[in-house]
Amino acid sequence: MTGLAVICRAAWPESTEDGPAPPLPGFVYSTFSPLVAAVADRCLARSHASPPADPARGPRTATVLVSRYGDVTSAVLVAEAVDAGRRVAPLLFYQAVPNAVAGYLTARWGLTGPVVCVSPVGDAMTEGMAVAAGLIEDGDADEALIVAVEQAMGSGVDSASAVLVGAG
Amino acid sequence: MHRCRRYDRRTAPDAGRCLPDSELESGGLTRPYTSSSTRPAPVAIAGMAAVSAFGRGTGPLLDAALAGRPAFRAVDRFDVSARRVTVAATLPDSPGLLDELIDAVDAACADADLSAAQRRDAPLLLAVHGDAAIGRAPAAQRSGHSAAALAEAIAGKCGLGGSVRAYTSACVAASTAVADAAAMVRHGHARRVVVAAGYLVEPDQFALFDAGRALATDGAVRPFSAGRTGLLLGDGVGAVVLCAAGDSRVRCGVAGWARTGDGYHVVQPSPDGAGLARAVRTALTRAGVGADEVGYVNAHGSGTTASDAAEAAALRRAFGQLAERVPVSSTKSVHGQALEASSLLELIVTALALERGELPVNAGFLGPDEQCPLSLVLAPRRTSVHYGLTLNAAFGGANTALLLVAP
Repeated sequence: MTGLAVICRAAWPESTEDGPAPPLPGFVYSTFSPLVAAVADRCLARSHASPPADPARGPRTATVLVSRYGDVTSAVLVAEAVDAGRRVAPLLFYQAVPNAVAGYLTARWGLTGPVVCVSPVGDAMTEGMAVAAGLIEDGDADEALIVAVEQAMGSGVDSASAVLVGAG
Repeated sequence: MHRCRRYDRRTAPDAGRCLPDSELESGGLTRPYTSSSTRPAPVAIAGMAAVSAFGRGTGPLLDAALAGRPAFRAVDRFDVSARRVTVAATLPDSPGLLDELIDAVDAACADADLSAAQRRDAPLLLAVHGDAAIGRAPAAQRSGHSAAALAEAIAGKCGLGGSVRAYTSACVAASTAVADAAAMVRHGHARRVVVAAGYLVEPDQFALFDAGRALATDGAVRPFSAGRTGLLLGDGVGAVVLCAAGDSRVRCGVAGWARTGDGYHVVQPSPDGAGLARAVRTALTRAGVGADEVGYVNAHGSGTTASDAAEAAALRRAFGQLAERVPVSSTKSVHGQALEASSLLELIVTALALERGELPVNAGFLGPDEQCPLSLVLAPRRTSVHYGLTLNAAFGGANTALLLVAP
């Protein structure tokens, strides 16, 4: 498998100054998609300064979103509405799959490589790296933005990390 | 950072890795890039299994697709009285997803004559939305519910001892898994890979699609047709075994594949179809096959206004004038949209159709739409074509193209 070189990385939160991820227009009720957007923005800005990405690189950059559980908050809200016989909020439809927020960040940054979402069996970033290495080895991308995100379950806190990688 | 390497597609053994931008954006490729003697050997599909609203097994699914006979009916699996739309393509019973996936994987492995030892070496790539139970589980127990946990359970039950990965990329989840599996075999990382996918119509996704006004209001899916009103959900579970050519009997071959992104919108496809067209061209180039050799396209064809128009634009961009002649249908018009599993059902239907020598029918057609000037398969048709494409697109602008070749 192709070796990978890390170009830059980011996390959310990175310090106590990071509060909740900023709200993301069009995404409601849940921290999942805002977290993905915030950490992806932070990571990409460390390589491309501001959007869009370098036009020589963005079209060949894949987006790999890794989350074992996905958007748990939205899943719970939908289940509660269904079980109560209520209509589901229409905006929840648009965030029902992890691809949706990937569409936001790829449009913002001009990334037109593959979009892949996985639920990892083991370590999230290791799995993301394996997916990215496969895409780069196969020739569908030269670089990959890997975003690993999990919402807090129980007493934990939401957390996300991102790495931009290329062939090593 | 290194840049994309530009291979000469007419001579390079790894033709298809990177396409020049000028050719990606030009009006279509009509000539083979390579002679057949230099084409890389297709990755073999050695075994297949499917469950759909037509029943368990690939036979009922293929028969319905070739006849253009839809399976949509009133949903009685759960309460839909509060929904705008009350129709889907469902089995008459209420099957369990995990059990159906285990049975499908076992059936595909048996179809491929995999020994127990071969199973122990095989990775499993699974495409599912996730574990639907997570939304109703007590908070302390949610960590037991994930797509990854489903994949681990299936691998354990089926004796698959290789690596396990779960794809959740919506409507391209399964096709991405197939592309990755083909690449794993092509690059020598695995001898055999099992790809499985499943979605069974359930109340939560049904409610979401209903709330998003994505469901057809007239009880039919009418891809590329005037008067189309949307998609309808359908049951779908499938499994395939991919292996290196020469390792097994070949039901069909995966000759080319590609994954691309639109970089355009959260949920809408790029209207110009550029991303999907790039997937088509990359898959063809990876296979060393010209656009004029493609004899059938099983389109994503969701039946929604914007998506079908964008896909038609993609086909015109990829095929040029050939887009007016290459036969196109969307088998979602009979089996419905099986979400993460749909692209695997469509691959299986396409493979079986090539094997049978007949083209699936684009059901539900009312009349031409000027935004979709395609050569639709509107009645059962015999064929002798060798190459068929299956295309898929998803929220977030994710696209895939898989090029199949008859054995």
